[in-house]
Amino acid sequence: MKNRPDIRKMNIELSRRYYGWVHAKLNENNRSIVVSGKLDNWQDILDACGLCVHKEGGWHVVNHIEFTGAEIPPMHMPAETDDSLDGLKPDVLIIGGGICGSAIARELSRWQLDILLVEKEADLAVQASSRNDGQVHVGVDQKKPNIKLSYLLRGNSMYDKVCEELGVPFERCGQYVAFKEWWSWPLLQMMAFARRSIGVWDTRVIGRKKLYKALPNLNEGYRYGLTNRSAGVVCPYGLTIAYAENAVKNGARVSLNTAVIGMDVLKNGNGKPDERGFAQSKTITAVHTNRGTVYPRLVINAAGVWSDRIAAMGGDEFFSIHPRRGTEAVLDRKAGDLTDTIFSYRDIIAKGEKNTKGGGIIHTVDNNILIGPDAVETYERENYATNRASMDWLFNKQKKSSSKLSERNVITYFTGVRASDFEEDFIVEKGRETDNLLHCAAIQSPGLTSAPALAVDVSHMAVEMLGGAGENQSFDPRRKAIPKLSEMSEAERSELIRENPDYGVIVCRCEEISRGEIIDALSSPICVPTLDGVKRRVRPGMGRCQGGFCGPVVTKIISEFMGEEMSEVTKSGNHSNLTYGRIK
Amino acid sequence: MMNNKYDVVVIGGGPAGLAAAISAHKAGSAVCLIEREPKLGGILKQCIHDGFGLVQFGEKLSGPEYAERFIKEFEELGITARTSSFVTEITRHSEQRDGDQCFVIKLVSSSGMDTIITESIVLATGCRERTARQVSIHGTRPAGIFTAGSAQNYINLLGQQVARKCVILGSGDIGLIMARRLTLEGAEVLGVYEVLPVPSGLARNIRQCLEDFDIPLHLSTTVTKVFGNERVEGVEIAKVDEDLKPIPGTEERIDCDTLIVSVGLIPENELAESIGVSIDPKTKGPSCDVNYQTDVPGVFSCGNSFHVYDLVDYVTQSGEAAGRSAAEYAKGRLGRAAHFDVVIPPKKAVTPGRIVCIGCPKGCELEVTGSGDDITVKGNSCPKGEAFAVQETLRPMRVLCTSVRTVFPDQPVIAVRTSTEIPKAQLFEAMEIINSFTLDHRAEVGKVIIKDILGSGADVIVTGRVYEQAM
Repeated sequence: MKNRPDIRKMNIELSRRYYGWVHAKLNENNRSIVVSGKLDNWQDILDACGLCVHKEGGWHVVNHIEFTGAEIPPMHMPAETDDSLDGLKPDVLIIGGGICGSAIARELSRWQLDILLVEKEADLAVQASSRNDGQVHVGVDQKKPNIKLSYLLRGNSMYDKVCEELGVPFERCGQYVAFKEWWSWPLLQMMAFARRSIGVWDTRVIGRKKLYKALPNLNEGYRYGLTNRSAGVVCPYGLTIAYAENAVKNGARVSLNTAVIGMDVLKNGNGKPDERGFAQSKTITAVHTNRGTVYPRLVINAAGVWSDRIAAMGGDEFFSIHPRRGTEAVLDRKAGDLTDTIFSYRDIIAKGEKNTKGGGIIHTVDNNILIGPDAVETYERENYATNRASMDWLFNKQKKSSSKLSERNVITYFTGVRASDFEEDFIVEKGRETDNLLHCAAIQSPGLTSAPALAVDVSHMAVEMLGGAGENQSFDPRRKAIPKLSEMSEAERSELIRENPDYGVIVCRCEEISRGEIIDALSSPICVPTLDGVKRRVRPGMGRCQGGFCGPVVTKIISEFMGEEMSEVTKSGNHSNLTYGRIK
Repeated sequence: MMNNKYDVVVIGGGPAGLAAAISAHKAGSAVCLIEREPKLGGILKQCIHDGFGLVQFGEKLSGPEYAERFIKEFEELGITARTSSFVTEITRHSEQRDGDQCFVIKLVSSSGMDTIITESIVLATGCRERTARQVSIHGTRPAGIFTAGSAQNYINLLGQQVARKCVILGSGDIGLIMARRLTLEGAEVLGVYEVLPVPSGLARNIRQCLEDFDIPLHLSTTVTKVFGNERVEGVEIAKVDEDLKPIPGTEERIDCDTLIVSVGLIPENELAESIGVSIDPKTKGPSCDVNYQTDVPGVFSCGNSFHVYDLVDYVTQSGEAAGRSAAEYAKGRLGRAAHFDVVIPPKKAVTPGRIVCIGCPKGCELEVTGSGDDITVKGNSCPKGEAFAVQETLRPMRVLCTSVRTVFPDQPVIAVRTSTEIPKAQLFEAMEIINSFTLDHRAEVGKVIIKDILGSGADVIVTGRVYEQAM
């Protein structure tokens, strides 16, 4: 039977490879293939789970293999505990303040619902939603229709409207992939045709002349290009914050520094299979956090790299996340004229370049250049440390596109961790065993592109699961962005400074950010009074000096705004205090 | 309506800019100085250590005192200063004034946008620090990683302690100065690491900032990695080979809560580049002629934005010369001159065991033999060196530069120093006395606040300016 995994065959192969250390078992209740055992090599675990993948019929691999090779670090937790949420009975509890959770909160706020979003970090979009290159993809890497592709195409087409409503800069800068081989022309035409036929309507093949016109800094020797003009760039954390702020403005509540630490799940023995064939026999009755216990009617799992753990807490573990890290470098605006689009090259005959799709040399909405990313499997879900090997790899690879790239222009680099599942597709569905749980999980690239569409669907599913809800009559889709004075006309800028002289006091010299803009960031609907919080909202410290000059001044502004000692100001929440108090 | 036309506009109110504005004014030009901070003095405001002014004044002043002399002169001459003003754009116009060119400078300040027109520009925009990421330090990015200048700002201007247990990368002067400053304020400096085989800072600073406090200096060693998720928990250091690449297997973890990086300064020339000035890849500053004129006629460069100097005295000299040239240019009397070939002297290694004279930046290596009354000194190039060596052998003396607490919310601390040297052995005792003092009134620079500290004969004097208005 095509829809059922051949468990016998899997176990024969597993025992052949791992000498009986690993075996797989089917769980019919939630259609999962549970792989368990004990191994000391992470790659072996990935391979073992990988060989049990069965993409038909909604089967997922659950990794229960104990990793004995190293200690897997625990989840990063908020330091504070209180009872500020204790006893709340929201209609919907959204777990995770990344792009998905924030967008879902905003879309749900179109209804008369009591919405609570919890995020364990000190800010929204701290993990995968900020640690990516901000590309709004077009789907050239998707080979056949799947959940990912449909969300990607819908999400991409929604970007203009969403960003306009939320006051977030978005540029449809297009993208180019360059090819060298003279004989690749017919192949490219076929590829373009295939892409168009699965919905990537704007795929075109161009010749050398057009290619070099679009990419003057492309290395010599390329002949053809595959281009998509609907590709775009957005500031990923800017969009996430905007979504969350708009949700708050429309009545949702966002609680930062709030981690889910457990759930009470009731077995209700209902047992009547739904349309998918799952008998939802469990209900989440309470969710415990470091800020008290809440009693939501519905729980939405948008917990990123931890979404499998949240699913397990809710009694609905049918998939597993295997983290995959990627590193990107940010180049100075001075190097910004390298490109105003996104480009990369492809070797048609190259072998073994797995998981390195996408990326390239990427123009950003702030006129920096990003290069990357790479893709490395890891057992650490929250290790954002960078390493030299990744940086060397990035530059070696991308210099094949443009030798004008220079390590000298690097102002910083960062690592993100993708929340991939073993099937490498999105999981957007109701709980299989739990009736008041909804998953928006395993959202890796193109998650950012897909988020607007995912959020719409998830919000509709949620309303349906809640048995309907009235429309929020006062819903306002628009968010007023913090003014960007450096980009304004002289007249506009003067007018704003006349109203608020703080707009004329420049604090960040590299990015030309005023004290007024920093105070606006602190006064925004979701106040994040940290150095990073301010930096991500209005950019002081994002420039070439990386906060060397403005760091102390911004720290002082935050402490004055919050009425607290400077030593209480943190870089990114918890115990990341910048100073140890007065010297005397 | 303010007058908006000048002969010379100086951008930057640090030592170079102040000197340029003063000399251009003295040469008869109408001068305007633009400074983005509320107060003049530039980075000197936070450089509360002494050693400034030996060339200019034959005295060892602290940074704020050195700046004060120029600020006073600047103010007495009545030169226009636009503080808290930020240049957003400079454009060149060639059609105005009968075919002569002029520059249009756009400014932003709390009173709005403004435009000023000038015949010539002196760029005195200083430099910025290279960051940890720019020297390829990997690992995590927690709180507790500071550039030396940033840490200096927190400590000396905001009165905040940034470290308890720290590692310093880079033996540049600011790194060395910060090692001493942090130690005096009670932090533990575990070591200074330098990727090069020779120290970058002045030899006298190795002597008085590290050796005085037994802070180890590790050459040919660098920091490769940072540990910690919230605050720094440690760093990884490694030895480097001749190509300055870390040698595998030499990595070692050091637990600390702070990493201070002092890994070089980069001239700030983004404004210069925006008007088409070419940058010399060697100095990273504008390519200039001997009159400090860049390849854009009428644009002059001086101070650390021209190239990074090791002494402020030379910064001042370059400012003076550039200001004079700019004034000449505005009068139409300056032609093109020969290229200014900046020679950066190579670093020299200090022979271990030798005493380095801290009397002046020259840093003579002294060879001292004998003891008691029978001491012979070799290697000195002036009589001061001999006196220093004898004193250093018998009873080392140092000027103590630190700060006192104040009652003013905008200036929680103010720079002070001892008027003369006090015994090195009593530095920490003196710190205790100074730290128990609170300044509660507006004091002039030079005012004595503690007389005859520890019976040493030295007074503690105010060296920083106590401003009347909020900063």
